[in-house]
Amino acid sequence: MTGLVITLVIFAVGIAIGLVLRARDGSIRLTRPGSARSSAAADLPAPVVRAIDPESRITLVQLSSAACAPCRQAHARLSAVAERSPDLHHAAIDITEQPGVGSALGVLRTPTTVAYDSTGTEVLRVTGVPDTGALVHALRPHLSPAT
Amino acid sequence: MSPTQHIDPRGPRFAAGITTVVLAVVLITGWWPLLAAQAVVFAAGAFAGLRYSPYSTLYRAVVAPRLGPPADREDPAPPRFAQGVGFAFAVVGTIGYATGLTALGIVATGLALLAAFLNAAFGYCLGCEMYPLVRRFVARSGENAA
Repeated sequence: MTGLVITLVIFAVGIAIGLVLRARDGSIRLTRPGSARSSAAADLPAPVVRAIDPESRITLVQLSSAACAPCRQAHARLSAVAERSPDLHHAAIDITEQPGVGSALGVLRTPTTVAYDSTGTEVLRVTGVPDTGALVHALRPHLSPAT
Repeated sequence: MSPTQHIDPRGPRFAAGITTVVLAVVLITGWWPLLAAQAVVFAAGAFAGLRYSPYSTLYRAVVAPRLGPPADREDPAPPRFAQGVGFAFAVVGTIGYATGLTALGIVATGLALLAAFLNAAFGYCLGCEMYPLVRRFVARSGENAA
């Protein structure tokens, strides 16, 4: 009897977690200007500093890990969108190889994509596989007016 | 990309569905030999390779021919990693039930069931999603030990 109750509770919890994860997947969170994350440009880990392209208005730094199927999907979408727009640069960091980067940025799940402007100020982050249309729309204030 | 043979992503999802049923039966009945058998299935998928898992064999023989070719293929590394995580929980659960530490058996089986259910119903690989978290914890405990 106890086992049956526990099983039903687990299914209920599973459905709740699944729905929350599905709702959050690909969601874009703007980084508030002046917040700790946005002003910490000087404290970024070295691999992130190297990844940021000062020639591009926005660099999309994608954090991936080895055992992560959605990371491949995110990678394909982001590199396609960066190819179309000269304002965007896409860089990938594997946090399996560089675990310090994930903890320095406070990233718990992969794929997480963090958008930086050319000065290294964080603009927004996306958890999960990004919807590139919504991403470009959210980045519009930072891109050239023509694009 | 690497020349690794990519697999039909519906295979691991089908396997997660069977795993969900098996683990639910274990929790309801408390019959631990079934959990031990599931541990062997996890071990086959994790250590020998996904194609050696009996559920995967069943998928290829019975289900796949009726579904038609998959729309895309995926790297077998992530689901294989998840089978390893499942194996660890199934072993702990079996030891718990078999030695009379029933609470341990229930908790370990329950967590494995939660992960299998999320994979089957929503396509989420919990083990893979939590990978950075585990990694961070390991790095931190390593610093403390040093």
